[in-house]
Amino acid sequence: MAAVTEPRLVQAATLPRRWSPRRRRDARLAAVLLAPAVLVMVMLRVVPAVSALSESFRHLSLRTGVKDFVGFDNYLYLFGSSQFHSVLTTTLLFNLVINPVIVVLSTALALLLAQRLPLAGLWRSLIFVPAAVPGSVVALIWSTAMQPDGLLNSALRLVGLPPQPFLTSSSQALGSIGVMLAWGAIGYWMLFVIAGLKDIPVALYEAAMIDGAGWWQRLVSITLPLLRRPMAFVLVACTVGSFLAFAPVQILTKGGPDNSTTLLMYDVYTNAYQVGDLGVAQAEVVVLMALLAVIVAFQFRMMREER
Amino acid sequence: MRPSVLSRVSSLAAALVAAGLIFLPLWWVFASSLRPGNTFVEYLTPLSWTAFLPLGGSFTNYSVLLSGDFARALLNSFFVAGATVVLGLVIAVLAAYALAVLDFPGRGLVFAFVILVSMVPFDAIAIPLSGLFSTWRLSDTYAGLILPALANGFSIFVLRQFFLGVPRELLDAAEVDGLGRLGILIRIVLPLSKPALIGAALMLFLSQWQAYLWPLLIGTSPAKQLAPIALANLSSLYQVDLGQILAGSFVLSVVPMILLLFFQRQYTDSLSTTGLRG
Repeated sequence: MAAVTEPRLVQAATLPRRWSPRRRRDARLAAVLLAPAVLVMVMLRVVPAVSALSESFRHLSLRTGVKDFVGFDNYLYLFGSSQFHSVLTTTLLFNLVINPVIVVLSTALALLLAQRLPLAGLWRSLIFVPAAVPGSVVALIWSTAMQPDGLLNSALRLVGLPPQPFLTSSSQALGSIGVMLAWGAIGYWMLFVIAGLKDIPVALYEAAMIDGAGWWQRLVSITLPLLRRPMAFVLVACTVGSFLAFAPVQILTKGGPDNSTTLLMYDVYTNAYQVGDLGVAQAEVVVLMALLAVIVAFQFRMMREER
Repeated sequence: MRPSVLSRVSSLAAALVAAGLIFLPLWWVFASSLRPGNTFVEYLTPLSWTAFLPLGGSFTNYSVLLSGDFARALLNSFFVAGATVVLGLVIAVLAAYALAVLDFPGRGLVFAFVILVSMVPFDAIAIPLSGLFSTWRLSDTYAGLILPALANGFSIFVLRQFFLGVPRELLDAAEVDGLGRLGILIRIVLPLSKPALIGAALMLFLSQWQAYLWPLLIGTSPAKQLAPIALANLSSLYQVDLGQILAGSFVLSVVPMILLLFFQRQYTDSLSTTGLRG
């Protein structure tokens, strides 16, 4: 923020700051430079969000082709439908499990790989590499590996375990999708935790060692408390990502078997494109945005507390 | 007080196991993609270490895949991601420069707007946006595929942070020497900002290359299909050739992988410095 208070060398001292021709020129140039960015952001982010909100209060009549204002009818329908209840429960439970798992695993990997190990860069890269794989490709790779005679079942057979149905079983499908998401995510989030670890002053550890603190004590009383901020960031960012999980459901399970993998994003998609009830789909988008807004607001609080 | 040999050896072993387990599926994809059709399954029952050997393989899967619709989809993906990088960088550089260097009323407000908008996850509003795009007649066009990725507030944020770090004295000196505002941007700020530019470019590229929901919603005709969609469609065919799926998966993964391994430092720096320390 230094730029705001910086004294200007060339500025005419007699003119009031606000009206100097130079400042006016800057303002005009700024308007030109910012116009494309502001325009695309308004048209492609703000307008659709506002349109979702306004459309969520309307219903398109297939008979007359007219969009009627229906107030909160779409929301009432949504919250009254048992399908939506089950979608919401599935999505929330899924997130309650998958995100902490991703945070714990990526932190554990970060703690392991931030040490000075031979070839540490290589191990780190091998773990990071799945983050480069597009989400839809992650789904395709794992569905191939989870085939009845695929890689996972042969590995199970090797250690004497019976083959598993994975994506075709209603009790395993959601967990299988969780495995895919975690595989694609932990290496990515690990990097953020490593960055946080590097910020912890070495002197703290040295002092603790002199006081005779063991590995566990140093972890609990220095590392983890000082990692709170990066870990909170990772938790929230990866929750936003998991809330929007879509590709594996749409490509692999179509919400099944027995609705066991119908997550919120996929339900919005089916309401909009298969059921064709746009009003309800938009209401669902609004609910989704509200949920995410709560998460982001929570993120701000977590980040501020530390200061 | 150096860590004992034992703890070092066990740490190394753990790192090896973790890296192996996480990387192995990807390696298996590569090895299996070199076996024609579904023959890779033969190496799995029972599982032998030869399943992970990319030896004696053939490029049949790749040649079949690349002679079909997938080739065009791949070119589309390159075109769309490339155009996004170029246009997205121009938009973001101009905006970031204004926010970092120029002094104008309402600057704080515009910056707050950029931050707020970059927090709206695109996928959440993709479905309402696709409705708007069909009324704007942008469905099934390249413009329709490229535009949404250009509204990347995060790349503006990353570049602004970096531009703020350019010493003010340098900019003032350039001004005294008679360089205009845009001259300063092109001659002084941009050459100094290569790492941030690479980071932002990668961010834009990956957002397009990895996208699935948006191209699914908008790119309906085969002529404008992107590679992830083409590959997913291939997998839902009645007669699935998994070898081709794995070959396509490898192609789609190896492109961002090479970029990331090559520019890892710039990418992760641009992410971690902004995401954590703000």
